[in-house]
Amino acid sequence: MIEVRNLTKRFGSHTAVDDLSFDAQPGEIVGILGPNGAGKTTTMRMLTGFMPPTSGTAKIAGFDVFNDSLEVRARVGYLPEQVPVYPDMTVRGYVTFWAELRGVRKPHARVDEVIERVQLTDRRNSLIRNLSKGMRQRLGLAQAIVHDPQVIILDEPTIGIDPQQVIEVRETVRQFRTKHTVLFSTHILSEAEQICDRVLIIHQGRIVAEGAPATLRQQLQPGAHLYVLIGGADEAQARNLLEHIPGVQSVQAQGEGFTIRTQPDVDIRAEVSESVMRAGFALLELRPVAMTLEDIFLDIVGRKT
Amino acid sequence: MKNDPIIITRNQIGQWGSYIGGVGLLLGLLGWLWQGSITPIIAGLLVSGILGIGLWVLMSPQEFKDFISGRQTRYSTMAVFSTLLLIGIVALVYIILQRATLTLDMTLAQRFTLSRESLDVLREVNGDIRITGFYSSRALAAREVDDQFFRLYETATNGRITRQYINPDEEPALAQRFGIYSDGALFLSYLKPDGTVDFESLARVPRSTGGAQEREMTQAIARLLLSNTIKVYFDIGQDELDPLDTTQQGLSGIHAGMQESGLITESLSISGLAATGGSIPEDASAIIMARPTTDLNAAEIAVLDAYLKRGGSLFLMADVLFNENTFLSEGSIFNDYLWQNYGIRGQQAVIVDFGASLQSPLDIIGAAVFTETTIAARLDPASAPTLFRTSRAVEVQTENPPVNNGVVILSSENSYGETNLRDLAETNSYEANENEDIPGPLPIAVWAWDKNSGAKILLVGDSDFVTNGFVTSALGNAVLFTDGLSWMTGLTEQISFAPQGFNSGLPLIFISTQQLDLIALVTVILMPGLMLVLGLVIWTRRVRR
Amino acid sequence: MWIIFRREVGQYFASPVAYLIAAGFLVLTALIFNNDLTVSATVKPASPSVVPAFLSFALVFFAPLLTMRMLAEESREGTLELLLTAPVTDSAIVLGKFLGAWFYYTMLLALTLVYQVILVSVTQPDLGHAISAYIGIWLYGGATIAVGLLFSALTENQVIAAFLATAALLILWLGGLAGQIVANLDLARMLYTLTLQGHFTSSFAVGLLRVEDAAYYAGMMAIMLFITIRIVESHRWRG
Repeated sequence: MIEVRNLTKRFGSHTAVDDLSFDAQPGEIVGILGPNGAGKTTTMRMLTGFMPPTSGTAKIAGFDVFNDSLEVRARVGYLPEQVPVYPDMTVRGYVTFWAELRGVRKPHARVDEVIERVQLTDRRNSLIRNLSKGMRQRLGLAQAIVHDPQVIILDEPTIGIDPQQVIEVRETVRQFRTKHTVLFSTHILSEAEQICDRVLIIHQGRIVAEGAPATLRQQLQPGAHLYVLIGGADEAQARNLLEHIPGVQSVQAQGEGFTIRTQPDVDIRAEVSESVMRAGFALLELRPVAMTLEDIFLDIVGRKT
Repeated sequence: MKNDPIIITRNQIGQWGSYIGGVGLLLGLLGWLWQGSITPIIAGLLVSGILGIGLWVLMSPQEFKDFISGRQTRYSTMAVFSTLLLIGIVALVYIILQRATLTLDMTLAQRFTLSRESLDVLREVNGDIRITGFYSSRALAAREVDDQFFRLYETATNGRITRQYINPDEEPALAQRFGIYSDGALFLSYLKPDGTVDFESLARVPRSTGGAQEREMTQAIARLLLSNTIKVYFDIGQDELDPLDTTQQGLSGIHAGMQESGLITESLSISGLAATGGSIPEDASAIIMARPTTDLNAAEIAVLDAYLKRGGSLFLMADVLFNENTFLSEGSIFNDYLWQNYGIRGQQAVIVDFGASLQSPLDIIGAAVFTETTIAARLDPASAPTLFRTSRAVEVQTENPPVNNGVVILSSENSYGETNLRDLAETNSYEANENEDIPGPLPIAVWAWDKNSGAKILLVGDSDFVTNGFVTSALGNAVLFTDGLSWMTGLTEQISFAPQGFNSGLPLIFISTQQLDLIALVTVILMPGLMLVLGLVIWTRRVRR
Repeated sequence: MWIIFRREVGQYFASPVAYLIAAGFLVLTALIFNNDLTVSATVKPASPSVVPAFLSFALVFFAPLLTMRMLAEESREGTLELLLTAPVTDSAIVLGKFLGAWFYYTMLLALTLVYQVILVSVTQPDLGHAISAYIGIWLYGGATIAVGLLFSALTENQVIAAFLATAALLILWLGGLAGQIVANLDLARMLYTLTLQGHFTSSFAVGLLRVEDAAYYAGMMAIMLFITIRIVESHRWRG
């Protein structure tokens, strides 16, 4: 469905996207993962025909994004990073506008359906200027899917919204899987992991790793991280205790507690809890820590050089 | 403070080079095109342009290569060229349409359409006529408006009439030849075969302030057409009214009108000619005798007769003068001459009209007109009434007349000819006397036309109607004179001394202060207020959801 | 195109600011009209083109107000990115917006026809002349809006867009002044022919419909819109 070959984009002397190649199959959710400035947005903009590639080609549903731009645009639903809205329009008016613009036959029924799907039905006559950020994000999703496109391109759909809404958005995106090819960019690893069938990690415009999330996680994250907060022990005692739990690779102080790194695929939470109890201390907090991609990148980049 | 070193990369130098090069080359080429030669400045620009491009090539060859062969260059060149092409097409269409002069005059007064009167005149144009207008560049907008109008003359004559505009600031020498130093002066002239202005025929067109210049223009053209073709003589030998006299009793107004309309006027003395044995000049198209005081003797009649026999025309205005041996008075041999040869004569009676007159029944208004000739064609008593003061009753021989003749204007049914001239003169009293007076209606003006010789005579029992004091008192007075003269000279309807058909016709606004206030209230307060209220409604609705 | 047109028009009708602008527009034209009426009462016939003649100057400042947000705002809010990635042609975007603004202007102009109605009720005005002047100022408005739109496409900043458009329109407006700046009559005349005013003051405004003037305004719109479309389109291949 999406075919990208040697895609390159240079802004003057700066290379934003460097010789990128990948494919996406129908019904697949592909995540593009990378830190800010890695070239995610640029790649997506090229795929939607908003920006021309400096060299290389990209095809969507067999149409070249530059030469058959109009065909491509008819088949793509796009949500830019910053949700573009007309603040003076109503929710319904906004979605209807995009539906009509994208040639939806009987827009009204379809618009209501889509609004329902992004759970904005009760706000459908509100002005967009009165919507919260998360609602706007969902509204953006609505406009991207209203014409039932073959390909949906979402640029960081979860950025800057509160956790509850993140879950809602993720939920919505996951529903697309059955009918659409979704290209999804994020800089949160766990998000990619939850939603995507396949993840591309790009850094400085280049793909540095690619594969199913589970495989990638193993490749990228040599261990899992847990945050532990122990009551009743001083720092040395706690550190000593944690270091001696089997499966713990390293212990690092973080705030009042510690972050411990364990081997991957081994859940040692039971052991940790048991050890703490046994030592007579109180286990105040124990939770897994999602590593930020930046951390992992430092790892990867560090390893590659 | 952190002191960032300024880093200049190769690429940046290349970029600056490209900018300098592009701008330099562009300005240089434009300057070259504009000046047509390479001045030092242009050379400098071109050299710096080439140097800039060179720097670019040297510093970032890759970027330069991309630029030359790149998509961006291709598309932007395409965009620029297609835009230029479109501008070219638009300009072409514009020029074609401009040539076609497709216009539609929307004004009620048809300010930009020539009237039928004008078109009649223009049909007669058969030489090349030039309209010369003086406009400095400050008067550009005025010139554009005028040009719209002059263009009509050019179109109507298929280019026989052409336009030329001269900027007096730029060509002071030429302006001086026209004797003009200011904006807005307008001239008409024939063109010489070599296409230059024939100053012999040059005539200045008066500019009216109202903007509608059709009358002035058309008359000026008519004048040009008539110039040197029609000569009208005023007889002065019988102590007539003076065509140059500007007082109320003078004829200067109508005389100026004749000259403006292209007639050549001159004076002669029939009595002088008779005394010296001369004859009336060959070029006389008509002779006007406006209130002759003394009657003609036999020798003088012979001079006139010879003139009439060769097809001359005579315009007689024969007032009753209340003393002995005046023109056409009792026993006048000229009166008999007219009666015998042309079947018209003056009577010894003043028309007193109770039916159609002003306060005094001696100020009579023509009650009926006869349109057998073109003289009275435009003299409808309702729209163009004629007014005469103390008019002589004239008479037409209807039974077996010697030549064609007839009445032009008749007094009303309720009038009579007062024959007691003494009482009228001494005590200004009049009384209808069935036995002595002549019953009305009576002719005020009559005509005679000898179709064999071509002689035409128009006899009017009054001369006051053309004097400066009277000619504008009634709309028909000037028309009677004009059309009478036109009838005699065969110039029917070519010239118009009266402002007929050129009026703008828009009424003034009459409006009360209350109305003004109401209008102001509605337009300045209510309507914008309504908009504000609508806006407010929209705003509150928007806040609520 | 009509979808975009509809949205633009709907936007005007749903925006309180648009009504505020309409109110200001009406106050200004009404003042001009009333002033003329007071001055000419019992002195001269009603002038049918006083409001259009005023607008020929006012539009220099007014048209940029209408158009400044059109593309600049879309560009800044990011909606332009969505529009450009929707399956609509760039010309449809530009034309839709242009027609939307022109339609709004037409509505405002239609409101000022009330003055003509008032004139008809108090005197006998030269309606043909008025119609001519209105057709002229309508086309004139279209041309100024097209110029405004062009500058809206050039920059993301509304204020800059409005400022540049006003400056450009002022130059295009200069018209009769061209003669006072340039002494050479032929050059002045050519400049006059290029200006917006040159095709209004001496024809439409005096009650004369000339096809060439209509062609000038139509051509002006065509060229400005064409360039605007090229500018919008350039997002696709620039950089």
